Amino acid sequence: MYIIKTSSISPQETSSGLSLDEIKPYTGNKYCAIEPNYTGLIRPAQLRRMGKSIRMGMGAGLPILKEAGQVDGIILGSSEGGLEDCIKFLNQIVKYNEGALTPTNFAQSTPNALAGNLALSGRIKAYNMTHVHRGLAVENALLDAILLFEEQKAESILLGNVEEISEYNFNIEKLAGQFKADEICSNDLLSSQTPGTVCGEGSSMFLLSSKPQNAMAKLVDVGQVCYPKKSEIVEFVKAFLKSNNLAPQDIDSVVIGKNGDHRTDFWYDLVCDELFTSQNLYSYKNLVGEYATVSAFALYFACELVTGKRPPKETILRQGSEIQNVLIYNHYRGDQHGLMLVTKPMPGAI
Amino acid sequence: MNVYVTGLGCVSPLGLNLEENLSQLRAERDGLVKSKYLESRYKDEKFFGEVNLSTPALLQSIRIASKKGLTRTDALAFMAFEEAILHAGLAESEISESSTAFISASTVGGMCLTDELYKDSTLQRPYSEYANAYNCSAHTLRIVKEYEIKGITNTINTACSSSANAIMTGMKLIRSGRVKRAIVGGVDSLAKYTVNGFNALQILTDKKCTPFDVDREGLNLGEAAAYLVLEADDVCQSKTKYAKVLGAGNTNDAYHTSSMSDTADGVTACILEAISDSCIAKQEIDYINAHGTGTPNNDLVELTGFSNVFETIPPYSSTKSYTGHTLGAAGALEAIYSILSIIHNEVYPSLRVTKPIPNFNTRPVAQYTKNTDVNTVLSNSYGFGGNCTSLIFSDR
Repeated sequence: MYIIKTSSISPQETSSGLSLDEIKPYTGNKYCAIEPNYTGLIRPAQLRRMGKSIRMGMGAGLPILKEAGQVDGIILGSSEGGLEDCIKFLNQIVKYNEGALTPTNFAQSTPNALAGNLALSGRIKAYNMTHVHRGLAVENALLDAILLFEEQKAESILLGNVEEISEYNFNIEKLAGQFKADEICSNDLLSSQTPGTVCGEGSSMFLLSSKPQNAMAKLVDVGQVCYPKKSEIVEFVKAFLKSNNLAPQDIDSVVIGKNGDHRTDFWYDLVCDELFTSQNLYSYKNLVGEYATVSAFALYFACELVTGKRPPKETILRQGSEIQNVLIYNHYRGDQHGLMLVTKPMPGAI
Repeated sequence: MNVYVTGLGCVSPLGLNLEENLSQLRAERDGLVKSKYLESRYKDEKFFGEVNLSTPALLQSIRIASKKGLTRTDALAFMAFEEAILHAGLAESEISESSTAFISASTVGGMCLTDELYKDSTLQRPYSEYANAYNCSAHTLRIVKEYEIKGITNTINTACSSSANAIMTGMKLIRSGRVKRAIVGGVDSLAKYTVNGFNALQILTDKKCTPFDVDREGLNLGEAAAYLVLEADDVCQSKTKYAKVLGAGNTNDAYHTSSMSDTADGVTACILEAISDSCIAKQEIDYINAHGTGTPNNDLVELTGFSNVFETIPPYSSTKSYTGHTLGAAGALEAIYSILSIIHNEVYPSLRVTKPIPNFNTRPVAQYTKNTDVNTVLSNSYGFGGNCTSLIFSDR
């Protein structure tokens, strides 16, 4: 399957279509999205009622829909959906002691509300799906798209993710020990050697096609596993490559999801020290933070790489060879591990 | 590639296992009650399809080592999952094979602990055992960990069509050859959060719901968990096959966030797609297990969809008149009821219909009907956000 167009709202200046040349540093443990001016894209009356996740998702998705016209499917990955709306509705329940409540927050809080809103905006009465499998929601969304193309039930698909920082998820994940206690600069995040990471948010959207015309990248395959043993992870990556008739040396670039949490960053070293000792190596969570569906941003970044955009220096862990075949390896809390294989779309490429 | 159903498991307001559900369906006894366990001011005002066990008792009844941080949703999911894999005779090693997928669904997740969630999200205490339990996928991941599932795992949330989409996804994965086996279904438990949400939308009735009756006033919320084991031809040759998953349709109504179009665009397209995906003629459908929530909007639109597709509308009923609307579990629970209809050649009725919706020259099946040929069943699920899914099962 081919990626024709990408769009991303993130804690970096990605929404106006700029490449990642000017990297904004962050201090603290919240990396909030730089939202675009939605004027002209979303009507003001609608915009006022939208929670942040729907707003960002529409902001990233609508430009793609506008350009594509119709699509044959909308597939979303989101771990939490509209948490801001969720907490607002919870507040209503408590404040009014379950009295007469307004349903808008409730209706917008469900994770499938974005896919529904995107369908509604373009009257797209086609395949519509929302995956919420936390750290593998995006990988499952991509697998869903691969299946739909294989079945020849679609020629073009809008696929993407959304996640927002709300008080609700931030506090709960803080209770679960996910975030760093100390304020740390994003430049030092990956070398911090302390527990916890930083919280990010955003929405990346992709126009996918079954055909290579006008493609910027090819998504060859996705892989996933939950709760592997340390001794199994290298074998898992090798088996994934082998199932695509590849060996580690066929990969020239690896995008890894290091987030500065020393309790779980070792997974990336296990894989890279064994299989990818000389390949280009890139990070991205020091730009956009950690969240369950952030691998969609990694895919956006990989598309930038294979189209020849110069990667920001902040992302380069090691660089030498030309970029053609990219493996994205991401895990969420060490529990859910995902792989994506992205290449240049030229004939003869893998 | 044929996809067979080789195992079923469910816990619902009708009972704690498949057998209890079947006997209640046959006896035309609904599971709609004033709530015993829900913490909400509406517990005595409304009827609920409540599983008749407290959360501690549910947790007591599941056999897993660590029960810390488990919610009612998790407990229901574990019970139904366990029954389904036993029913299919799956060995532990088969569940852990990389060719076995587990696709679940939920809309409420751990938000059944609405008050706990409020405390944790507003930092009213320093530590909570539930901090990892609220997410929609929490129950899936607990099961994945417990049963050491190494293959493809997923959780879907398309509101009230969630677990119908889990079944469809499992079917597609097997058809594609990526997996040999998929355990599919979903779970939701009653929550103050959803009770207030549906109440705010003014679609809860104070009475027991009456799907497809002209005087229907709304839905009752319910809770359940339901899982099916799907297997490819070559791994279930010597097994009892309860039904075949013939095909599925998935469309969006693209009309409104919380109601469906008068013209039933999504409903119609979705049924037609399921029929086409199943490679059958529409006349072959013997029975429709309708979405049939009992809201004025849903039932009228669904009937409109039926009349758009069928010259003669096949026998249909809504088993939500027994269980209430079990949200993320409804698609899988009703798939199981559809398969029970196929196995036993019988149809379970829409209860309490006195005056059917006029102008369609049809009425839902009104009583338990034995010894009737049920070979091919259409099961519908529709959700907020315009999400429509239809599944077709058969005995072939």
